[in-house]
Amino acid sequence: MTSRKTSRFCAGTVSRRAMFALPLLFLPSQGRSAVSESLILDPATRKWVPYDSRQAIMYYRSHGRSPKEFQRQLVSFRTAEKPGTIIIDSNKHFLYSVLPDFQAVRYGIGVGRDGFGWAGIVKVGRLAEWPTWTPPAEMVARDARAAKWAGGMPGGPENPLGARAIYLYEGGRDTIYRIHGTNEPWSIGLNVSSGCIRMTNDDVTDLYARVAVGAKVIVLNQGAALFRGV
Amino acid sequence: MVDLIHVKRIVFVVLAASLFVLGAGQAPVRAESGDKVVIGVPAWPSARATSHIISQVLTKEFDLDVELRRTGTLRIFAGIDNGSIDIHPEIWLPNLTALVDKYATDRGSLTLSPQGVTASQNLCVTRATAEAVGISSVTDLSKPEVAAQFDTNGDGTGEMWIGASTWSSTLIERIRAKSYGYAETMTLLEMEEDVAMAGVDVAAATGTPIVFYCYAPHHLFELHDIVVLDEPDHDPATWSIVLPTEDDTGWLERSKAASAWDESGFRIGYGTGLSEKRPEVAKFLNAVTLSADDITAMSYALEVLRQDPKDFAAEWIERNDNRVKEWLR
Repeated sequence: MTSRKTSRFCAGTVSRRAMFALPLLFLPSQGRSAVSESLILDPATRKWVPYDSRQAIMYYRSHGRSPKEFQRQLVSFRTAEKPGTIIIDSNKHFLYSVLPDFQAVRYGIGVGRDGFGWAGIVKVGRLAEWPTWTPPAEMVARDARAAKWAGGMPGGPENPLGARAIYLYEGGRDTIYRIHGTNEPWSIGLNVSSGCIRMTNDDVTDLYARVAVGAKVIVLNQGAALFRGV
Repeated sequence: MVDLIHVKRIVFVVLAASLFVLGAGQAPVRAESGDKVVIGVPAWPSARATSHIISQVLTKEFDLDVELRRTGTLRIFAGIDNGSIDIHPEIWLPNLTALVDKYATDRGSLTLSPQGVTASQNLCVTRATAEAVGISSVTDLSKPEVAAQFDTNGDGTGEMWIGASTWSSTLIERIRAKSYGYAETMTLLEMEEDVAMAGVDVAAATGTPIVFYCYAPHHLFELHDIVVLDEPDHDPATWSIVLPTEDDTGWLERSKAASAWDESGFRIGYGTGLSEKRPEVAKFLNAVTLSADDITAMSYALEVLRQDPKDFAAEWIERNDNRVKEWLR
């Protein structure tokens, strides 16, 4: 793996920021909201500007699902990678699970700020159903909601890791990066600072059934590695 | 001399180098392979396929006992020199010129086949990119409006992969970008090849414009519809390469490479002793002719279709019966 940005907030949920992803659908808001205020990256200035995530939530609620392009689908996919390999395109918010005969299952993903700052090759090191989430010490120190779960939040629908977690390893060691479910399905297609690579619980469960420990995971460099230092 | 082509072979060479150095000070040990013919088999797919083709022809047509020995390039050179290995299926030039000079010219223990496969290095786009962006030439990348169409991070400049950071060719791609002028309009990315190739797969699947460093023969050309960007033919007068050193931070400014890469390629090599011991085998090896398309197809079969090299070789020989007969005449 290269170009990785170290962070201990990969599975956090409190500090929320968003990068531009669907500019037409999720326009930056002019006002500020105490509850749902987020930040979105202005590509021109490369600065964070206020953003109202309620628009994404409203879209999700009115449609009951993510935008069509982010829904799970079988696609033609010519690659030299073995079936079982995962390819993550953070830039377009797609995750591909390679199948035989030049096909792949394509899923929509949400990308955490810390899931966006690197590109390279890792492996699936561990798999967990309804994983426990333990907030990092920094988050516990500054946020009462996180502090409540300092000893670990049991798996369940409110858990930010969602229904499944796929732990990414490099050289046999945990990278701190995970592909996981979410308790915020509206955030698929967005870059929100919380989480690494987020999928809906349905999708991460589907992927979980296809992937094996040791599988190769490629995180593309298009867009991804370029956000270092943002 | 600067090695003008990197390919993965550079990595194998570097990995094997320490072992080679350890043995360098020792007197050559005669370890004749006897009646058996030993083919040293490097790891990359086309070399594996070629090794199996040679092996099966030697077994069938010359009734020889053949051993395929998986090992690194430098060990094969050393093995050919001490007589324990007879054949190297792909000796890349100019990458390995120093070793060829040592073993073929100075020591006389290595003979190169007169037949070669031509290799090339370029910048490439997918066919969909060429049509959507209207790009046909390397010089187009210096136009901000063209470069902007390869922008994946919204900063207005394009992004392109120029090779892995461990490849010697990557430094030269950086020099080329400066010399052509697109270093100003494009962000140059260095990354493992598998990441870059998966990026091409995704770009092809989604119709996203992509431009990247490419080399041939490579299975990529069979996997996707690829267009090589035009550029002026190699002109040594436009190339002046200064490699970076710890004390020299101005290497890039003082270097230039404002035309295409020079041609490179590879050949079969074999122990000179083989031509004495088995002249008919040496004659056959001198007649083996493969094209860049052959090598691409081999690479595609093993790397993409995951065919077993032994099975692939058997099918290849059957399909190319006339060519093999020609080699045996």
